[in-house]
Amino acid sequence: MQEDKLKKLSEIEPPRRSDEARERALHLALDAFDSAQAEKNAATTQGSAGAKRPTSIMDWMKGLFAMENRHALTAVVTGLVLLPLGYFLYQNTALTPIAVGPRAPVDLNLPVEDARGRQDAGGTVATEVTNNQSVADAAERDEFSLAEERPLAEPSPMPVSPPASKMTGIVAPDLMREQAIGNIAVSGESAYDAAASAPAQAPGYIVAPEGTGDQFTSFDDSGVKVVVAEPVSTFSIDVDKASYAYVRQALNQGYLPQADAVRVEELINYFSYDYPLPTDASVPFATDMQIVPSPWDAGKHLLRIGVQGFEIPAGERPAANLVFLIDTSGSMDEPDKLPLLIKSFSMMLDALGPDDKVSIVAYAGSAGTVLDPTPASEKRKILAALRSLSAGGSTAGAEGIELAYQLAEDAHIDDGVNQVILATDGDFNVGLSDPSALTDFIAQKRDEGTFLSVLGFGSGNLNDGIMQALAQNGNGAAYYIDTLREARTVLVDNIATTLVPIAKDVKIQVEFNPAEIAEYRLIGYETRALNREDFNNDKVDAGDVGAGASVTAIYELTPVGSPSVLVDPLRYSNEEATAAPAGDSNELGFFKLRYKLPDEDTSHLIDMPITKDLEVDSLAAADANTRFAVAVASFGQKLRHNVFVDRMSWDQIRDLAAGARGEDADGYRAEFLSLVDLAKGLSAE
Amino acid sequence: MDAEATAEIAMDPAKAPELSAELAKRAALGDRLAFSELLDREYDFIFRVAYRWLGNQEQAEDLTQDLCIKLARTVGQFEGRSRFRTWLYRLVLNAARDQHRSAGRSPNTVDIGETEVADPRSADADLEREALWQAVRQLPPRQADSVLLVYAEEKSHAEAAAILGCSESTVSWHVHEAKKALRALL
Repeated sequence: MQEDKLKKLSEIEPPRRSDEARERALHLALDAFDSAQAEKNAATTQGSAGAKRPTSIMDWMKGLFAMENRHALTAVVTGLVLLPLGYFLYQNTALTPIAVGPRAPVDLNLPVEDARGRQDAGGTVATEVTNNQSVADAAERDEFSLAEERPLAEPSPMPVSPPASKMTGIVAPDLMREQAIGNIAVSGESAYDAAASAPAQAPGYIVAPEGTGDQFTSFDDSGVKVVVAEPVSTFSIDVDKASYAYVRQALNQGYLPQADAVRVEELINYFSYDYPLPTDASVPFATDMQIVPSPWDAGKHLLRIGVQGFEIPAGERPAANLVFLIDTSGSMDEPDKLPLLIKSFSMMLDALGPDDKVSIVAYAGSAGTVLDPTPASEKRKILAALRSLSAGGSTAGAEGIELAYQLAEDAHIDDGVNQVILATDGDFNVGLSDPSALTDFIAQKRDEGTFLSVLGFGSGNLNDGIMQALAQNGNGAAYYIDTLREARTVLVDNIATTLVPIAKDVKIQVEFNPAEIAEYRLIGYETRALNREDFNNDKVDAGDVGAGASVTAIYELTPVGSPSVLVDPLRYSNEEATAAPAGDSNELGFFKLRYKLPDEDTSHLIDMPITKDLEVDSLAAADANTRFAVAVASFGQKLRHNVFVDRMSWDQIRDLAAGARGEDADGYRAEFLSLVDLAKGLSAE
Repeated sequence: MDAEATAEIAMDPAKAPELSAELAKRAALGDRLAFSELLDREYDFIFRVAYRWLGNQEQAEDLTQDLCIKLARTVGQFEGRSRFRTWLYRLVLNAARDQHRSAGRSPNTVDIGETEVADPRSADADLEREALWQAVRQLPPRQADSVLLVYAEEKSHAEAAAILGCSESTVSWHVHEAKKALRALL
């Protein structure tokens, strides 16, 4: 290879960048900056409203104007600031009512009144909000075309939460505009104010504004089990991550999520861990375990189990036949729903190849086949179909789901991925009204080879239980899409994980040795518990694992003789009979994993002893996988007000996670740290 | 740093790298204007690097936008131990690699040369460059990064090493391996 030939690489000059893209990027980045600052401030105010508000927009505008006299500002900043201020002045002097153009007239008073009402509790000035909203309103006019292009700033928290809008009756377009422009300084503030003035249900905690409308199946933490009485723990693996995205959205909006929304295992499994990969494709899992002292109770240990799925080499993903089944009911007409959905699917198209096929069915609202099966390479046609979707109209589409499966079967790819992807904000009126009939139908189609995944959008109407049930019956996964970034993670970066199952009905069973372990508690997986006898029963459905996915579970163990043992031994039990370990005395327990390959009906078994060799002396000496997983487990349990973990402080959790961040190229672990900060600020600790 | 100081440094191009570092520090402390100024200065740099790595205007613009947004939260992680551009390079390269990896699962069209007005004289050169570029992208990520830093960005091996967070000899080795592989590919 000659040098001069390689030097030609330096001649690659980028094409002239588009000013529009540049302006948009800078604008969105400044929004993100504002939300980051607002979060920082919110985190330091310890949840007391009004104590330290994010810098007022007027203050920094004044600052800018002082600067303006000295030297020229960049075009972007000027554009951002001058126009809104001009409009602000206009609005405060002119007597003429505001004409909003082609859109429905918007009653600015409504949200302002509402804001004032909410502000009263915090003792902050309502007029400031009025100003901000006018500014936002004005900025929007200038940049409406831009807003249509990119409806959402990726990491920015929702300026006004959709649930809040439901309570106060602000019309959707109003919200849409506020959010679409990613307004200047309002974003962090209004969410923060809304939360700060929400009625505090538990002393010292800011919880969701009353009635988020999202429904979660209630569940209790798994209790402590006595090994002598119940030596065997069985559960189905769970690779869903929906709960993490929900928790993140809640915290970013300024309230602590309700306990039932926090599924600790989904929080833990949101992150990717650096487990050893299976070496052989015929055994699709590798297991990695470690035992560390518990950070919340010196008398206990934590057993971290990591199961790593086989990774499909790039380029070897089987062809996909995807049917998007899209909810177009009226409630989808919010910026974080249909517009985000359309953008998300457009992004996904880029990750699909020419062998993949896409079709689109709409249900509720404008129902029917929107796009017949089309090769993914015909991007323009698919995009046009996606963009033609609009929410609202009559609720007619009854046959939605049957239509979707019909298309999936028409375009069936042998040895490929055949999947219906249901996208909704909670309206499951897909044509079969009886939930059990619906799950049966999905399960039957699963057996015929078409899987179903569910993507949840927006908040306020989400029925988490049904979402989980449908996805589990469909051998797919449930994801909650709150930002474009999350959409990218699920639909682009992890498309193989999302689409290609490498194993189904994956169950884990752990048996503890009563001579060594007195008590145990499985952290999370409450909704995934199985009966002991289900483990060997291949008829019992369990979780599925996509290519490259990993699953992490943590057990809290109380060794025999530890001061932390909770339950006294039975007076009349025959200790001799129970304390007769069959295995090596080095064994603390025995790990078993059952899985079926995607096209098989009988399961395979992987097993290994849990030995004392896995123990490390201190948490600090544990590997980063363990430390980070334990930090996330602590965080989730603390959010659920678990009595065992509550004594751990947010700072301890944060430090633990910060020390285990690793390379974190995509910034997810850094984001977790900021969530811990937010939670700390919102709880009065 | 107050506004006057900012203006002062801006006048003196020799202090330009320091200015970005200074702006980053200010931004980390919550100075919005400094952050805006910083993006304004660095946008074109990020875009250029992103384009060289991705070879597609739209993707490069998307990536640049993502990075600008990400910077809002990560600018505080710049600790001033390296030059700001070195730090920024690393950020762009990591993001580009992630994007490339996810795009790698489906063949991505490369539009080098397409976007510029075609000059018939340079068409051949464009094709050759495109083939070369394509081949470089086929290399393992570290090799590709090394080659692009050394040849496209015209960095010394030492500078490339600082950006990639490895030793100079590692960069030289990557470049050497890359040349061997490219000989086979082209």
